[in-house]
Amino acid sequence: MQISGAEIVIQTFLSHGIKDIFGYPGGCVLNIYDEIYKAGDRINHILTCHEQGAAHAADGYARATGKTGVVIATSGPGATNLVTGIATAYLDSTPLVAITGNVNSALIGKDSFQEVDISGITMPITKYNYIVKDVEELEETLCEAFRIARSGRKGPVLVDIPKDVQVASCEWHGSIPLPLFPLPEVSQSDIEEAVKLIKSAKRPFIYAGGGVVSAEAESALERFATLIDAPAGFSMMGLSAMDYRNPKKLGMTGMHGVYAASIAQSEADLIIGVGVRFSDRATGNIRKYTENVKIIHIDIDRAEIGKNVTVDIGIVGDIGETLTALSDTLQAENFSQHLPQWEERVKFLKAAQKRLFDDTADRERDILPTRIIQMLREYTEDDTPIATDVGQHQMWTAMNYDFAAHRTFITSGGLGTMGFGLGAAIGASVSRDGKRTVLVTGDGGFHMNLNELATAVTYKIPVVIVIMNNGVLGLVRQWQRQFYGERFSHTTLHRATDYVKLAEAFGAEGFTVQNETELKTAFDKAFNTDGPVVIDCHIDPDAKVLPMIPPGGSIEDLILR
Amino acid sequence: MESENFTMSVVLRNRYGTLMRVTSLFSKRGYNINTLSVAPLAENNDYSRIILTSNGDKCVKEQIQRQLEKLVDVCEAKII
Ligand SMILES: Cc1ncc(C[n+]2csc(CCOP(=O)(O)OP(=O)(O)O)c2C)c(N)n1
Ligand SMILES: [Mg+2]
Repeated sequence: MQISGAEIVIQTFLSHGIKDIFGYPGGCVLNIYDEIYKAGDRINHILTCHEQGAAHAADGYARATGKTGVVIATSGPGATNLVTGIATAYLDSTPLVAITGNVNSALIGKDSFQEVDISGITMPITKYNYIVKDVEELEETLCEAFRIARSGRKGPVLVDIPKDVQVASCEWHGSIPLPLFPLPEVSQSDIEEAVKLIKSAKRPFIYAGGGVVSAEAESALERFATLIDAPAGFSMMGLSAMDYRNPKKLGMTGMHGVYAASIAQSEADLIIGVGVRFSDRATGNIRKYTENVKIIHIDIDRAEIGKNVTVDIGIVGDIGETLTALSDTLQAENFSQHLPQWEERVKFLKAAQKRLFDDTADRERDILPTRIIQMLREYTEDDTPIATDVGQHQMWTAMNYDFAAHRTFITSGGLGTMGFGLGAAIGASVSRDGKRTVLVTGDGGFHMNLNELATAVTYKIPVVIVIMNNGVLGLVRQWQRQFYGERFSHTTLHRATDYVKLAEAFGAEGFTVQNETELKTAFDKAFNTDGPVVIDCHIDPDAKVLPMIPPGGSIEDLILR
Repeated sequence: MESENFTMSVVLRNRYGTLMRVTSLFSKRGYNINTLSVAPLAENNDYSRIILTSNGDKCVKEQIQRQLEKLVDVCEAKII
C-alpha cells in the first residue's frame, strides 16, 4: 500500500501502541498534523502552550508508567524549544521519541526560514537521532527510533523529517515494531564474586537509583535487601523504588540525604550500588566516599561501571535479573543473614534523625515546608504521582514524602531543570488515564513554565499545584548564605504575582494559605476538584534544607543547622 | 594513574553524522583525539574503520572504549 510520509508517522505511532502525544503545530509539521486530525479517534493529542512544556509532558508521561513518551514540534524555534526537555529526559534515561519537521530537503543548508540543524544540536543529548532524507527510509527509521528509545538504558531519540519527505509517498509495510536489542547476559562468575563479598560484609548498605525504577525491579530489590539484611539508601531518582513502610528503607542519600541514610552509608563496609551512577551530588568527595569500603555496582550500562567510582565488582545486566540471580545464589547456599549490631546502629541513627529534625515551630504562625509535605501525604494515595520543580521544595519533597509505589516520584534529577514540573505533572496524569497528580513547586520554578496551567485547564487535568512560596530562589540563596557570606545576589524575587488571581485568570481555582488550618481547608477543596488547583503556601524565606553535605565534602562536613 | 598514548580501531556503520558522533563523544567527555583517520572497509562499503590515537590513564582508556561501544552505529571499538 502506498501512503504518505506523514501517514507513516501516525501509522507507526499506532502500531507501537502510542495513544497519547504532546506537541505544537507549525508550517513544517502541517502534514503530520493533518494525519493527526484524520486519526482523531485513535490518537489523543495534547496541545501545550510551549514546546518545552510538551517535551516535559511526554517525559512525565514516560516516567509515570514506563510507556514511551512522544512529542512533536515544528522546525526551527519549535525544535529548539524541545532542547531542554530532551536533555532532561537524556540525563534521567527516560524513553522519549521526539518528532520534528524540517524545511524541504532542497532548502536544507541554505539558512531557510525556520531552519535549524536540530539533529546536530541534539546529538550530545539524545541516544540517537536521525534526519530522514528519503521517504523510503522513514518507516524503518521510526521503528528503529522506538526500538532504541526503549532498549537497554532508555533515553530520548529524535527524528527530524523534512516537509517533502512527509508529503512524498511510498510502499508501507505495517510499521511492525522491532524487537528490543538483547540485554547483556548476567555473568554467573560476577554473581559468585559478589556473593562472596556480600557474605563477608558486616555492614552492607544498598544504594539504589533510577535504574531500579526503569527496570521495574522493585520486588527483586525488596527480596534482596531482606535476604542480606541491609538498610537501603536511595538516590533521588530511586526514591519510589521501595515502600516507605519497609523498615529497610532509610531514604535519600547524597548532598541533601537524610541523616540516617547518609551516616549509615558512610559507616558501611560494603556498598551495593543498584542502578545508580554515583553522581557527584550523590557521593561528594570520591576519595572519602570510597575509603574503607568495598563497592559492588550493578547497572544495565557497562560504561557506568568504573565511570565515577572505582568498584570492586561490576555486574552488567538487567537489574531485576541480576538481583534475582544474587538472591537465588545466596538462597541456594542456604545463606540467611542477620546482623544485629548493624541493625541496632541503624535503628539508633533513625531515632537520632527523628530527634534532630522533628519540627518545633509554632503551628499557628508558620507553615513548615516539612509539614506541608506531611500534610499533603494525608491526602494522596500510595500511587499518586508527585512531580516537582527544582530547588528547596524538591529536596523537602524528596526527604519528607513517604513514597510507597513505584514511578510516583517525577522529578528532574540529572539535569535539575527548573520549569520541568508542571508539564511533567500533566503528562503523568494523562499517562495514568487522568489520575489526580500533585506538583510541588517553587515560586521561581513555577514562573518558568506556568503557562502550562492553561493546558491543564483546557484538558481538565486534576493537578494540585502546591507552590512553596518563600519569595526567593531558596536553594541558591541557601548556598549564598552558607558559602558566599550572605551576599544574596539576585535571589530575592520581589514578584507581585497574585497566585489566586493568576489561577482564576487561567480558569483554575487558587488559594493562598498562611497556616496549617488554611492549608487543610485548601487541600480539602483541591483534592475534590476536577481541574487544576493552585495553592500558594507562604513559607519562611530562611527555611533551610538540612542536613547538607557541602559540594565535594564528605560525611565529616555534614551541616546540621 | 599514569597517562599513556594508545591507538584505537573503531568499526562503524556509514551513516549521516557518524564521524561527528564519534568526535563529539570525545569533546563531550573531555577526552583528547591526537590523530584520526577514516576509510571505508574494503570488504563492505557500508562500514568504515576509524583509527585514532588518544591518551589517558587506564580508566580513561576503558571509559572511551565503553562509551564508543554504546554508540548505536559502532560495531566494534578496540584498543590496538
Ligand atoms: C532552568 C534552571 N535555571 C537555573 C537553575 C539553578 N537553580 C537551582 S535551584 C534554584 C532556585 C529555585 O527557586 P524556587 O523555584 O523558588 O525554589 P526554592 O528553592 O525556593 O524552593 C535555581 C535558580 C536551575 N536548576 N534550572
Ligand atoms: Mg522559592
